[in-house]
Amino acid sequence: MHQNRTIPKKISRRWYNIFFTRLLPAVFLIVITGMAISCQKSQDTTFLKIGLPEEPRSLNIWLGTDINSRNILSQIYQPLFLRHPKTLEIIPWLAKEEPVFDEAALTYTIHLRKAKWSDGSDFTSEDVLFTKQLFFDFKIPRYYSKWKIIEKLEAPDAHTVVFHLKEPSAIFMSRVMTAPMVSKKEWGPVAKNALTKEKPLRILQDFQVEKPLGTGPFILHEYEKGAYIHMTKNPYFFGEGKNIAGFDLGPYVDNLLFNIYGTTDVAILALKKGDIDYYWWDIQPGYIQDLEENADIDLHFNKKSALYYLGFNLRRPPFDDKILRQAVATVVDKQFILNRILQDYGTPMDSIIPSGNHFWHNPDVRKYGAGMDEKQRITAARDMLKSAGYSWKVPPVKDDGTLTTPSDILLPSGEKMEKFVILTPPADYDPKRAFAGTMIQEWLRKLGLPAFARPMSFNSLLETVKGNHDFDAFVLGYGKLNLDPDYLGAFFSSDNDRPNGWNMSGYTNEAFDTLAAEQRLVVDVEKRRQMIYKMQEMLLEDVPYYPLYNPHIIEATVNKRFEGWVEKVNGIGNIWSLCVVKPIK
Amino acid sequence: MKKSSYILVKLVEVAFIFFVILTVLFFLFRLSPGDPISKMVDPMLTPEDMAHLIEQMGLDRPLWEQYIIYVKNFFTGNFGFSFHYGEQVSTIILDKLKWTILLFTTSTVLAAFVGVFLGKIAAWRKGSSLDNVMSISALVCYTLFIPWFALLLLWILGFKLGLFPLGGVLTPSLWVGNASLFIRILDVLHHLMLPLLTLFIINLGSYLLLMRSSMLSVLREDYIITARAKGLSEKVIRNKHAAQNAALPVITSVGLSLAFSINGGALTEQIFTWPGIGKELIFAVSNNDYPLAQACFLLIALVVLVANLIVDLLYAWLDPRITY
Amino acid sequence: MLNKYSLQRFYKGWQIFIKNPLGKTGVIILVVFMFMAIASFFVPLIGPMYDPMTGIDPDIRVSTGPSLTHWLGTDNVGRDLLAQLLEGAKVAFIVGLSAAFFSIVIGTLVGMVAGYTGGLFDAFLMRTADIIMVLPSLVILLILASLFGQFNIWIIVFIIAIMRWPAVSRVIRSQTLSLKHRPFIEASRVAGASHLRIIFRHIMPNVLPLAFLYMTFRVTAAILVEAALSFLGFGDPSQVSWGMMLQWVWKSGHMFQAPYWLIPPGVCISLLTLAFYMLGRAMDEVLDPRLRKEGQS
Repeated sequence: MHQNRTIPKKISRRWYNIFFTRLLPAVFLIVITGMAISCQKSQDTTFLKIGLPEEPRSLNIWLGTDINSRNILSQIYQPLFLRHPKTLEIIPWLAKEEPVFDEAALTYTIHLRKAKWSDGSDFTSEDVLFTKQLFFDFKIPRYYSKWKIIEKLEAPDAHTVVFHLKEPSAIFMSRVMTAPMVSKKEWGPVAKNALTKEKPLRILQDFQVEKPLGTGPFILHEYEKGAYIHMTKNPYFFGEGKNIAGFDLGPYVDNLLFNIYGTTDVAILALKKGDIDYYWWDIQPGYIQDLEENADIDLHFNKKSALYYLGFNLRRPPFDDKILRQAVATVVDKQFILNRILQDYGTPMDSIIPSGNHFWHNPDVRKYGAGMDEKQRITAARDMLKSAGYSWKVPPVKDDGTLTTPSDILLPSGEKMEKFVILTPPADYDPKRAFAGTMIQEWLRKLGLPAFARPMSFNSLLETVKGNHDFDAFVLGYGKLNLDPDYLGAFFSSDNDRPNGWNMSGYTNEAFDTLAAEQRLVVDVEKRRQMIYKMQEMLLEDVPYYPLYNPHIIEATVNKRFEGWVEKVNGIGNIWSLCVVKPIK
Repeated sequence: MKKSSYILVKLVEVAFIFFVILTVLFFLFRLSPGDPISKMVDPMLTPEDMAHLIEQMGLDRPLWEQYIIYVKNFFTGNFGFSFHYGEQVSTIILDKLKWTILLFTTSTVLAAFVGVFLGKIAAWRKGSSLDNVMSISALVCYTLFIPWFALLLLWILGFKLGLFPLGGVLTPSLWVGNASLFIRILDVLHHLMLPLLTLFIINLGSYLLLMRSSMLSVLREDYIITARAKGLSEKVIRNKHAAQNAALPVITSVGLSLAFSINGGALTEQIFTWPGIGKELIFAVSNNDYPLAQACFLLIALVVLVANLIVDLLYAWLDPRITY
Repeated sequence: MLNKYSLQRFYKGWQIFIKNPLGKTGVIILVVFMFMAIASFFVPLIGPMYDPMTGIDPDIRVSTGPSLTHWLGTDNVGRDLLAQLLEGAKVAFIVGLSAAFFSIVIGTLVGMVAGYTGGLFDAFLMRTADIIMVLPSLVILLILASLFGQFNIWIIVFIIAIMRWPAVSRVIRSQTLSLKHRPFIEASRVAGASHLRIIFRHIMPNVLPLAFLYMTFRVTAAILVEAALSFLGFGDPSQVSWGMMLQWVWKSGHMFQAPYWLIPPGVCISLLTLAFYMLGRAMDEVLDPRLRKEGQS
């Protein structure tokens, strides 16, 4: 029996009174005021409001490798050369003009523009030298591997630099010269301090950037973690008032406000409400109908430099057999994927290099199952397999030509084909890939192949496919392939076939390796193009990867306040748009 | 055992448990497949670059060496640098902690208050239709699926009726326009409403039911009969005698239900993109950001252990039946 | 075990149980869901279009509302929502019941051993139980799920069971404690029965009913945790569960546009867990006479 004793006066009548008479009305007041505040829609056009799907990882350029960080940082740090938005050629940016290439001496002489950093100091060859030294001293990921072909870098005067290369390089202009230039003033002391520590790269990457010095159109004004980033116009932007690549550059907005949203849903709602002018992310086709009906919103469709593909493991059966891979390629209904999964917002992909990359894309590679209907595809695949020695207990096509449910396919050796697994990312990560996997499973089963599509968490998937090579097939993609085709070598050269190497399929072809190595050294673009064409031919003949689709990038903007978005490969979110977008009068 | 030695024993126990959790966590993280580098799907990152990054992050040292460094760091308050953000983990956590504390304490306190108040009434009017309505509603609240309920509230109150913002903690255009402190506070409170409402309703159910059953068992006790015999008014009996005693187990159960509240809190933060520890944990965990995920988890574990310790001690102090 | 006396007790208990409104409602709801789960085996047989995971309607390409061919509508790739809902019922039962069952097995074993042996071992076991009980299961599952990659549904079930046995063990332990000193146990000991034999032949049959009572509460926890896990994207992606459905509606951006997709899974999760909980509460009242309404025996 317990005694009646007093406990601390936590629960007494008074508190209840307070609750009901004070708190509740206060809540009510807050709600009303809040609504009132949020209803104020400003027509202020000095702010261009952009929605981001996720918080940028870091505003430290050496750490911020995710797409949101890069989007922000690319407004600040500028390279010597970049790509023309329409022709995709490399044009001078921080450089004044095309470089002077001395073939015999293997040097590139580059004259720099008279540009200034955002604090008013001059951009000089010292900064270029410093950036190069930074790449070398810290072996900065992504940049060092390209820059190490530079033997020597000289700066004869404040606005000239001379690069001496070790050997001719096809990618000098497209990969080396497109690296961002950083200011010696800003990064000098940081680098010096980092080099004295045990883990210099980490120190460099962990440096908290407060006021980055840039040569670009905008500078960082305020960063409220988790909520927004406020950028203002850089008064010293070298491009202001100039006509570059056919555009009269501004920027014509004084402020950029990046709102960070948690989900696309909420961001689209914000777009519809007019809280933002542009959502800087790809929109799923499911939203299109709803947005199309909205007169205030414009939809933008552009091609992507992307590759979504079915990859095979050539190191073990069953996909060590080329004919089987080709048969699989034949039954995959790419039209279906385009209509259904992409809802027609995309282009079928025939080569490893997307068609949007028009200079390097080879349109004449071997195509599988093109123009065939289901029956024709299965019959053609059946023929290929039959002539290679495969047989079935019950073949997929009857003697009279009609399709039937097949069973028990046997390898040429006579053994039964064991079941194999097609790994895909989970549906929440990428519904398109997950669903493609499911459909491919169904198509292969119609051919009698014991296929099983299995979604797997993305990290595990990468570990399995790239790390320990323990897989049969997978559906993966690269959302933003560089426009320079050098990556063909990365994906398919045999020396990259190792744990964590980029050759995930295990493709080994000596002829291909030779070409891949050679094309790197060829400066003549036409000659190189022929080699790249040949490489694509080989790839589509041997099919270590079968390209599936290339989705369009779908984006939405509000058309009431700003206009002038620049459409280019990979979308309207680019530096040209931001420099050219104007308030609507 | 004296009171002071009881407290000491309890403290040592908590410390030991925490240390065990620390160690288990370390080994789990280190022995699992996948690592942050593999998430960088950039064809231009050569295996050399990757090896270099791994070395810089210290992931190439032998396991036991990493462990020693790990423990040492923990006790000096160094939680390392987040792989993803590059910032000191302690800074990130401190940044997010305030939001979680705001949401969590307000919702728990409100739910406890109202739950106890309503539970008291429900028990007093046991069997009546009021009691039935309250009990069933509480039951429903308790078993609601949090993400779904949160999404529903978001949809109805946020989207359809437009009463509340759809997430986040503030309105950027307001803050950039140099709004006054008062407006800023109101803005944050406005954003707080929906997550608060969600957590409040979920937790309300459990507090109400707890108070109700606790009150019911108290009401059967002899001293209540005595009080009635003494001629005290019903109201006084209810509020002064019964409720105060019945509330005790409810308070102590806050510790036990903490696990439930934390689960709910993490889910709520995720849906409303409320930048708290829960959401950060989920995010760090999906990115294999070891230091950050570890620290978030340890923080949560510490809070749970300490809260339960306090509750244990409180209960022991208040209830003379407990022998040390 | 199954003598006339226990049958009588069971029958009496059932009468009380069924009179209880909570019990009644709980049972009705459960029966409805059981039909749903059973139906999920038959629905895909109607046509390939109705397979919850791969069944797409060739004519439908976007998420559509309820119609004659799709009673609840379709998701954004054209799959039938009702088929998914039924499949989810099946998964919920499997997960809930298995996880509960395993946690009962572990909890009963631990509870019995702890109560019977007493002393330091008992204290150790109970302290462990206490610690596990206060840890937030979802948070732990998240960490484990992300570390060890894909979890298949049985591993999730197993981990939930491991997190949830402590509550059972406490109850079993106190029951064991009170049984320990009963005459018939003493008699067996004097007769030379080994400890194991006493535990399994004599104590276990008497604590089992209590264990099964507590199973209902474990079921609710298991279903809710699995749903939360799937919702966050860490569930088994080859299973269509209600939590998975909610994740799809959220991630595919149809949260605000498709109430026919958003509402049913959530309602089902809540109703099913509510039903089990009601069941548990009603059984509680059967076993604990003090909780019954006044006027009943």
